[in-house]
Amino acid sequence: MHEVSLAESIVTALLQMKEEQQWKSVVEVRLRIGALRQVFPDILSFAFSTVTRGTALEGARLVVEDVPLSFRCRDCGTSWQEETVLCPACGSIHRETTAGLELDIESVEVEEQS
Amino acid sequence: MSKIVTLQQSIMAEDEKFAASIREANRKRGLLMVNIIGSPGCGKTTLLERTAKESGLSFAVIEGDLATNRDAERLDVLGVPVVQVNTHGGCHLEANVVEKAMEALPLDSLDILFVENVGNLVCPAEFDLGEDFKAAMLSTPEGADKPLKYPYLFSSSKIVLLTKTDLLPYLPFDMKMFTDDVKALNPEAPVLHLNGITGEGFGGWTDFLKDRIKEKKTDAR
Repeated sequence: MHEVSLAESIVTALLQMKEEQQWKSVVEVRLRIGALRQVFPDILSFAFSTVTRGTALEGARLVVEDVPLSFRCRDCGTSWQEETVLCPACGSIHRETTAGLELDIESVEVEEQS
Repeated sequence: MSKIVTLQQSIMAEDEKFAASIREANRKRGLLMVNIIGSPGCGKTTLLERTAKESGLSFAVIEGDLATNRDAERLDVLGVPVVQVNTHGGCHLEANVVEKAMEALPLDSLDILFVENVGNLVCPAEFDLGEDFKAAMLSTPEGADKPLKYPYLFSSSKIVLLTKTDLLPYLPFDMKMFTDDVKALNPEAPVLHLNGITGEGFGGWTDFLKDRIKEKKTDAR
């Protein structure tokens, strides 16, 4: 997807937080990105380093955790990870996606003012 | 001294605020909002032209294109209220832009607000505009393998529209593969076959919309 847009959103949110929380610097940013989200980690890292250049976030590390797909049957409650249409336990078609859609900033490592 | 701060917040939190505000405003109005996503040339504007001529539904359109007012002009001559948004190279629409465009439309007198997104199967699917649902469109010449190549769009849409079905006799389009792949990605989404030239299949599209409008108006009460 649009990695530059994502990088810009991350930077906007973190700069605001840095200001509010009076952090000295941001050392590392950890993201959780679902398998269905069409994000290419290398492009996102490149976009992030470009977008942060000249900002208070310059030099922050970006770590991307991939979250695999996961499904759950709405009828019998079984969970599974293989991409199959029908529930492997009861054959129901009422499948919901429980993981793989994440697009989250999980945490940041920050240096506090001393 | 360094410390870890747990955030667990969406990267698109800012965008999601705009989307949530649109969704809430439309819930109060009882206005159905549909985000139409498909490749350039798959028939998105043709679908809307035919919907204007045949469905009897009253709707407005927000047109997203990189450049030109051509799509807006095609709908304007049919009396459809339309706002053209030019993204100047941007590959998708975002909710803040849509919210602004909505200000120019007579939303209170409509059954539906369509967003015709920028022609693209990737990014438009990712950005929540505050719509009730996405409609994924694919035309037969694009090939039956596209749902698996663009899984997010096809798994996150409420309905899948296959257009240009009149070309099927001339194309090596593997219908079984297409149908099976869409089902694997999105077991509950109906798949409609449409022909923009003859109008075949449009009854199913109109009925689908009318059912959704009814649900929406009931929820608004």
